[in-house]
Amino acid sequence: MAVAHTLKTLAVCGVLLLGCAIAWARAGEVPRAPLLRARLNSDIVSTNPGTRRDENTDGVLLHIVEGLVASREDGSVGPMLASRWSISADGRVYTFALRPEVMFHNGAPLTSAEVVWSLKRYLKPETRWRCLEVFGPTGIARVESISAPDPHTVVVTLDRAAPMFLTTLARADCGGTGITHPASVAADGSWITPIGTGPFQLGEWRHNQFVQLKRFPLYAALPGPRDGNTGGKHALVDELRFLIIPDSSAARAALVRGSLDIIDNLAPSELMGIRGRTDLQFQSVPILDCYTVLIQTQDPALQDVRVRTAIALTIDAVGLTKAITRGNGSANNSPIPVASPFHHSVEAQLRQVNVAKARELLKAGGYDGHAIKLVTSRRDPQMFDAAVVIQAMAAEAGLQLQIDTVDWPAHLSRYIAGTYQLMVQSFSARLDPALSFGVFIGDKREEPRKVWDTPRSRELFDQTLQTADPASRQAVFDTLTRDFLEEVPAVVLYNSSHLSVVRSAVIGHQNWVSAQPRLWGVSLR
Amino acid sequence: MLGYICKRLLLTLPTLLLVAVAVFLIIRLIPGDPAVVLLGEGADAASIAGVRADLGLDRPLPVQFFSWFGHALRGDLGRSIVSGEPVGASILQHFGITAAVVLVAVTFATLIAAAAGLIAAWRRNTAIDLAVVGAATVVLAVPSFWLGLVLLLLFGLKLGWLPFVGYVPFSESAGQAVLFLVLPVVTLTITESGVLTRMMRASSIDVLQLDYVTHARAKGLSERAVLVRHVFPNAFAPTLTLVGLTLGHLLGGIAVIETVFTLPGLGRLMVDSVLARDYPVVQGCLLFTAVVYVVVNLLVDLCYPIFDPRVTAR
Repeated sequence: MAVAHTLKTLAVCGVLLLGCAIAWARAGEVPRAPLLRARLNSDIVSTNPGTRRDENTDGVLLHIVEGLVASREDGSVGPMLASRWSISADGRVYTFALRPEVMFHNGAPLTSAEVVWSLKRYLKPETRWRCLEVFGPTGIARVESISAPDPHTVVVTLDRAAPMFLTTLARADCGGTGITHPASVAADGSWITPIGTGPFQLGEWRHNQFVQLKRFPLYAALPGPRDGNTGGKHALVDELRFLIIPDSSAARAALVRGSLDIIDNLAPSELMGIRGRTDLQFQSVPILDCYTVLIQTQDPALQDVRVRTAIALTIDAVGLTKAITRGNGSANNSPIPVASPFHHSVEAQLRQVNVAKARELLKAGGYDGHAIKLVTSRRDPQMFDAAVVIQAMAAEAGLQLQIDTVDWPAHLSRYIAGTYQLMVQSFSARLDPALSFGVFIGDKREEPRKVWDTPRSRELFDQTLQTADPASRQAVFDTLTRDFLEEVPAVVLYNSSHLSVVRSAVIGHQNWVSAQPRLWGVSLR
Repeated sequence: MLGYICKRLLLTLPTLLLVAVAVFLIIRLIPGDPAVVLLGEGADAASIAGVRADLGLDRPLPVQFFSWFGHALRGDLGRSIVSGEPVGASILQHFGITAAVVLVAVTFATLIAAAAGLIAAWRRNTAIDLAVVGAATVVLAVPSFWLGLVLLLLFGLKLGWLPFVGYVPFSESAGQAVLFLVLPVVTLTITESGVLTRMMRASSIDVLQLDYVTHARAKGLSERAVLVRHVFPNAFAPTLTLVGLTLGHLLGGIAVIETVFTLPGLGRLMVDSVLARDYPVVQGCLLFTAVVYVVVNLLVDLCYPIFDPRVTAR
């Protein structure tokens, strides 16, 4: 009895102490400053644009740094730090006129010296710029020189005409070729911090907790409304905090509770439980990504185009898309995404499921009933779900697929090395269709990750890189699409949507065809 | 005593060497190249080779091992491949958060288990015993992530009493830090109290049947005195061993709870590092965990004589 009494006393004291602690802590709470909080599902990798990076890193850093040009909402290229540019008649010399009013976050004015320094730094191999290979022997062109004839003009000379030059500079995965101040780097060349020109500057990065950005008060916005990564980029909150919340249930609970304002890039399955709430706004915009099944065409079981075609004929892209994206995706068999301005009648053709024909082709192609391995990963739930659905669909034609689920690093390594038979793979948004084809076409000896390695496809691909005229490019894209559907080096399944949920107090949040978060022009009621 | 401690610590050195070798090899046996993870899906062969050379991954394995181990012996665990931060500092920073949660939770769990297990054994086969055993079994069966989510939804979302996303260090605001740690601590306390209660109850039942307990009662001692002075110290010794094992295990990281409550602890650091194939961090974390395990068990062994003087006599 005495023990029970002691326990009771202890329990009561414990509850009282907890209550006091809560009250004490609550009393110390500071009223919230104008702070916008958005979720990241994993921490950023670095603050060095276009080098150590992933999609989250790109998204955060594009709030801090800006390039000479940037992507518009429709995927075309618009001015950013350069107010205008001219291209020489032979297409090799680009002359950029810089905006004179732009300041760096350290208060220094933007001049051509910093631009030349930044571009040259990107081209040094030790910088490990993601897009260096684009300016290498197998890329679009080599950079012959970068010069600054005056403080507000930069001239870049290429070794040949490269219509994709500006598009490449604007790529998010290239860090938007963000121009940074030389003080961003230490004397030994190591990275310190991004001193850019964007509407926000880096406040604090607390690893695995948050990345805090502060409004840059001297930011010189372009006139007009925001347009993709360009246009009027106004920071409407004093602080922007990207909270690292890996668990989606915790993130959704935080949003409902009001501890979070924005969840960007939700997987369709993560909408469960919050859809229909009146205190939240839901946004879904088709984006330029793509989910595919890559086929290792050098594998003995898959060398025969009839076997590859049979696999494609078993996949009901419309049904699969509906099931996996919960109605938030667009079935598409072309590498050119549905939301692209280059997606027309040829690209809109969808394969019809034909199980009987698939059986015939498998027989003719010598398929002996052995299991074919389909590699996938759970990093993106849609990739795993797609593998399961495809396995079931293929089974109807007697095609035995064995799912091999690996973690993301193993998946990525096998993709790069080409060591798989079939692989479900998603590709992030590419704003130009040439880049969409670029993930498939290439020399397998040099780049084993490429699945489509025929002289004709490579020749056509080179044409897309060398042609600026939209009509001519469309013709080449149409031909490439037809060939792609015929030769089946991969099966494109669908393009997804950029899903976001924001609290009703958030004003001005709008998704676009890129999947990055874009939080300039966003404020709180 | 000092000699005993030194002897125990010396005996741990071969264990730590084995751990270091095993950790070094196992992480490299897992498929997935850190250079590829770092560079992403568009990585070309030249860039991958360049990054591998930068990271020293192109050198023979024995050279890599002795280089890393030599530095580790001098207290330098290297730098993270991903963030470039010193591994040692990063581990200590994350460990502080894990340790705060684990030490408080295990202390509460031990107090609950000691009392509940003792009472259940004392009132064996009564409604109290049934209730304690039932509760302990339920707690044992409930996964920590599920319990964490339920508490999060109840106290964080529905009642709004406690924050559940993020973390504030004690150095910034002690009050806020306490608030952020309440739910993870409660979750871990409940989860860990189940097995400790079962252990305490079982050992208490054994002790209650011993002759000296009957003798103590025959002397006319009160039940409270019998339980507190004679049963508890002897029954608690095996539970203490389990507490030590639990502490060592949990201090190595409570990844699930840290993920649910967005705590930047050691478990999350380790999981993130494995998923990024951040070799120096994984190696550092596991070596550090092994050291913690050894130290905690040594401390538990040193506490044994307090409850069972025969241990010292032996």
